[in-house]
Amino acid sequence: MSRAVLVTGALLIALGLGVFATKTLVYRLPVRAAETRGLWQVELRVTVRGDGRQGSVTALLPGPVEGQVVLDERSTSDRLQFSIRARDDLRVGVWQGRLEGVHEIFYQFRVQSRGVAMPLPEGPVAEPPAAIAKSYGRASHEFPASALEVRDSLDRLALPAAESALDRVRKVFAYVTHEIATAGSAGSDALLTLAQREGNETGKARLLVTMLRAAGVPARLVRGLELRELAPPEERVWCEAWLGSVWIPLSPVEGFFAERPANLVPLGNGGRELVEATGAQAVGYRFRSIQERLRPEEVALLMEPENPLLAAVSLYQLPVGTQSALRALLLFPLGALVVALFRNVVGVPTYGTFMPLLVAFALRGYPLAPGLVLVAFVLAIGVGTRLALEGLRLLMVPRLSLMLCVVVLSVAAFSLVGDALGVREFFAGVLFPIVILTMLVERFTIAIAEEGPRAALVPLGWSLFVAVAIHPVFRNRWAEHLMFTFPELSVVVMGALVWIGGYTGYRISDLLRFRGLAAEGTQG
Amino acid sequence: MSAGPPWRGMRRAGVLGINSRNALYTLRCNPRRLYPLVDDKLATKRLCNAAGIPVPGLLATAHHHFELRRLLAELERYEAFVLKPVRGAMGNGIVVVIGRRGDRFVRAGGREISREGFLYHAAGIISGLYSLAGHSDSAMVEERLEVHAALARLCTDGVPDVRVIVYRGVPVMSMTRLPTRLSGGRANLHQGAIGAGIDLETGRTRHAVLRGRPTAVNPDSGVSVLGVPIPDFDRVLEIAVRATDQTGLGYVGADVVVDARLGPVVLEMNARPGLAIQLANRAGLLHRLAAVDALPARERPLAERVALGREIAAGGAPQAAA
Repeated sequence: MSRAVLVTGALLIALGLGVFATKTLVYRLPVRAAETRGLWQVELRVTVRGDGRQGSVTALLPGPVEGQVVLDERSTSDRLQFSIRARDDLRVGVWQGRLEGVHEIFYQFRVQSRGVAMPLPEGPVAEPPAAIAKSYGRASHEFPASALEVRDSLDRLALPAAESALDRVRKVFAYVTHEIATAGSAGSDALLTLAQREGNETGKARLLVTMLRAAGVPARLVRGLELRELAPPEERVWCEAWLGSVWIPLSPVEGFFAERPANLVPLGNGGRELVEATGAQAVGYRFRSIQERLRPEEVALLMEPENPLLAAVSLYQLPVGTQSALRALLLFPLGALVVALFRNVVGVPTYGTFMPLLVAFALRGYPLAPGLVLVAFVLAIGVGTRLALEGLRLLMVPRLSLMLCVVVLSVAAFSLVGDALGVREFFAGVLFPIVILTMLVERFTIAIAEEGPRAALVPLGWSLFVAVAIHPVFRNRWAEHLMFTFPELSVVVMGALVWIGGYTGYRISDLLRFRGLAAEGTQG
Repeated sequence: MSAGPPWRGMRRAGVLGINSRNALYTLRCNPRRLYPLVDDKLATKRLCNAAGIPVPGLLATAHHHFELRRLLAELERYEAFVLKPVRGAMGNGIVVVIGRRGDRFVRAGGREISREGFLYHAAGIISGLYSLAGHSDSAMVEERLEVHAALARLCTDGVPDVRVIVYRGVPVMSMTRLPTRLSGGRANLHQGAIGAGIDLETGRTRHAVLRGRPTAVNPDSGVSVLGVPIPDFDRVLEIAVRATDQTGLGYVGADVVVDARLGPVVLEMNARPGLAIQLANRAGLLHRLAAVDALPARERPLAERVALGREIAAGGAPQAAA
């Protein structure tokens, strides 16, 4: 290794470690990812189009609900006025102004959710307050509690005496949960759900609320988000029943009773949709979320005005979508370091320098075994297609494109199968890198033709081996936290890469290959 | 067992590893802009022709798909020829035609290929299937060489050649590469060809490996591959060094075929020659390269450089007269 290489590498490493040390020792940023289960960052992005009339967009916002704390709410919106209206435990964000052309609205918050488990009242419970009974106990268009068929069903359930509200709730809950089937394609109307003995999530929730009200228990619908790792949040609907002096959450689909899992964030109750617009031609919205690895007070360090320098270079201030993309991207230097070690220090052959990196990235969202099955599947389909096309004698670029089409179609087919088996969105994150695997197929088949199957399998095996070695790095939360919170560590990786690049010693493969010559040297 | 870790023994033996070859020799001595001279076989041919260095004759070329029919028509005149990618590597994509049977070509090794098949293969070459980086390429057809009987008898099929490593104008190591059935007729050691190291002093093979393991015979035929004199070896070294002189590259492998009629001809050159030549010679390259580096810098005539190379290879520290 030359002096210049040694010094350059050392300078880069010193620079990166210096910044890292300052941030950890002076500003006390945590090196280890905190055990922050239930700490999430959520972003709502609304796109609204108008033709110049006055209008407004309203969205349900997370409220001060038992079991969750909402922090750092922020909103940016072009040309619209933002305000928050709060009434009781319902909070609504309103963006209003003249809607002209396309407006983009971002609303972002952090939420610490630990879920709740309510103590159930023992013995008879007090009558609900008049206000509650008035708002949530009556039949309505949405909850037709006085409909004949609802009364009939209740009669068949043979509900216990009036004083045991808890038992009544239990019985009705059990009935809707177990006797009514859940089907995503079924209706969302309470009576239809009852008649057909099946309904979608909203249908079952409405039926439960309707029957509870008919049984004399105030109840209401709750809308919210289910936050998921490595997948966008899903809109969910569940219910709340007034028992004694509190609202207890219950879901006839998920089956929870008097508790709420930590990954469910309620956004509002009542008839409102999550996002509504008036005076607009079109409105669309999307939620995004990422799981936080820093405690709220640690994030505050990075955002606080007293550390302007730190705040300026902190990636935590970016939109959620950008943040989650960067979290993945900043792992690439680490992965590249692993590739460089394998190629230049160990000396294994792989197809293409970054092929293992891409395969590992493709498998990032999934456990290793199913991921490898997927890669094997794509390779098999691709090689099969390649061999089938051989007889047609097509030119290279159209032939490669044909293989690409087949790979894309088979991924689509596999997604359908996965969906039918209940493994939803199995392929969401894989799609892009899978397509790149087409190139791997081509190189593999050429190698088979040129050098025989055995010689072709060796680099393929090593490519997958290196990908498997990178896989845990890509899935490691601590690594993700480190590289994202301390981007300067990428500079340390660069220093290490300079050193590997200047390493002129033997590779392990050299040692194996030329070991016979070494014996020669020591004898002489 | 010797004391110390394995790399110490290898360092003592002067084994050149991949990292040092890349960082200290190819990266340092071979400027990137000169690579096309050796990666592009037509450029190499032009270079050698201009310098009067013998090369196999060029019969036809096709740079575009629409030229392929013409290429086929031009080949009607010839009985035997070799189709190659202009920017191919490791002997990939080469089709050797040794004759005709009816409407079909007979390939070396006896398999037949139809005209359509031949055209499809050539189209693959032009599409860049066999080129170094997958860029589009050109197809070239050369005359088929008649390998000198002394080398031809060592192998049952394929074209054996002589690889000479030339460092800064000095030949430092050489081997003959003998295709086998295992290698599919290709003269590549990692594909299963035999590499037989040549004593630069005597021009005879002195050690041979097959798939990295010592061998004394060609397993295809049982013929001994050791102690075989390379025909016209002085001339082989001379044209190898002259050809590499033309490129301006400092660390090159020149591949020479000894033709029965033409004598030694330069087939191609390689700016990143493999390291298996060390196994074939049972000797490391490092000490020889260092000995060349230790020579006082001055212009030397070709004959003196060849003599120096032989002296270095023999293990004597060259007493280069200032």
